[in-house]
Amino acid sequence: MSAMLTLENVGMHFAVRPDHESGQHTVFDGINFTLNEGDRLGIVGRNGAGKSTLLRIMAKIYAPATGTVTWAPGVTVSLLSLGLGFKNELSGRDNAYIAGLLQGLTKNDAKQSISSIEEFCELGKYFDEPMNTYSLGMRARLGFASALLNRASVLLIDEVLSVGDKEFREKAKIALKDQLTHKQAIVLVSHSDTHLRDMCNAVRSLNDTSLVMRENTGPALVE
Amino acid sequence: MTLVNEMARLSLKADAQRYFLGYLWWIFEPLLWVGVFYLVFEVLLSSGRADFLAFLAVGKLSFIWFSKSVTQAANSLIGNRGLIGKMDAPKWLFPLAVCHEGLYKQMAVFALLMTLLLYQGYVPSVAWLWLVPLAITQYLLILGCGMAAAVLVCIRRDFQLLVQLGMVFLLFISGIFWDIDSIGNAALRENLLLLNPVASLIDLYRSVLMQGSAQILSQWLTVLLESIAILLLLTWVYRVLHYWIARRVVTQ
Repeated sequence: MSAMLTLENVGMHFAVRPDHESGQHTVFDGINFTLNEGDRLGIVGRNGAGKSTLLRIMAKIYAPATGTVTWAPGVTVSLLSLGLGFKNELSGRDNAYIAGLLQGLTKNDAKQSISSIEEFCELGKYFDEPMNTYSLGMRARLGFASALLNRASVLLIDEVLSVGDKEFREKAKIALKDQLTHKQAIVLVSHSDTHLRDMCNAVRSLNDTSLVMRENTGPALVE
Repeated sequence: MTLVNEMARLSLKADAQRYFLGYLWWIFEPLLWVGVFYLVFEVLLSSGRADFLAFLAVGKLSFIWFSKSVTQAANSLIGNRGLIGKMDAPKWLFPLAVCHEGLYKQMAVFALLMTLLLYQGYVPSVAWLWLVPLAITQYLLILGCGMAAAVLVCIRRDFQLLVQLGMVFLLFISGIFWDIDSIGNAALRENLLLLNPVASLIDLYRSVLMQGSAQILSQWLTVLLESIAILLLLTWVYRVLHYWIARRVVTQ
């Protein structure tokens, strides 16, 4: 197993108020772990613990305030995002197309992927209707189906498995597991023990500004 | 570039869906602006120019392209908070997509302007070919200024108001409804054109479209270099502030 992503002493702090540079709030500090090929890491923690911020650092959206993040050559990291770039006035078809482009697909690949999205999200004739006619559940289904286009080697998943009704959630979970190759790694943020148990082989808890192994949750990842 | 183009195209499509008259607003809105200015400065105040309608149309229709694009680009970073917080993308992508929308609309507006000039009796000449490099130059200027406005709004939202105020200021000092040549002091006139590339561009559009003059190389090169310099500076700023912009936008 080779390392895809390594965090060394990673810390993050924000200004107490976004419009004031003075006064720092430390979100977390001294985070160390290595993500290897095929790892399935779950991250839990109370609201505001910095789970999403940690994912954004891994996804190269934020730079850490302290420490270093090293991505292995050729490794692509991406947040699995629902409704990326969606616009209410556009149809499901148009939104699926733009979501594909935003996830790095070429114009042709994005067009070709539309039929599989249409089939997966089961919107029927609504797929060609403006999205402002959709219910929340329909939006979530379209969002998840579009998000499945993501082919990054490290997938960062922030609570997106909790969308739609029970039947769709199960379908989404199976689709995601089926899509993952043995080389891909995932980091899953979730409050659902069921999702963490089904998807992860290790779970860490982000509490009190540090990331610690959660007890009785599977094998530890390489430090 | 494909992504920018498709984002702009679909954004325009979404925009058109919001209004009953849809894409027709691309033409109606600038026409109404010209109509309002014509009513005030010609019908009510008698501008004294025989060619005032063409003079106003060339100035106003090119100014609207600049002012609307920059004002909309100013909100492009904070308005795309969701995307910026979810994907690692170059941040100039967002003002660029907005400016690209403006470019599409302006193509229709230029067609309208040509029609209006032909209707007014102007005869197309070789000088009209200058419209292409002038429009490209204006696009580069819009892009640089749009990127600047967007990052300023990230720093403080107050800049949204200042950008709008700045556009009103530009409207008055760019010679849209008055002639820059009417400034008696030649040095002042030259400095105004040098410091305000928008005024210089409007002057250039009028030279080629209304006077059929192709002797604009020096003035055009000045505006082009100014536009490229602004764009290069802002590209550097965006590179340096890449992560800062994401944090700022997401946590505001």
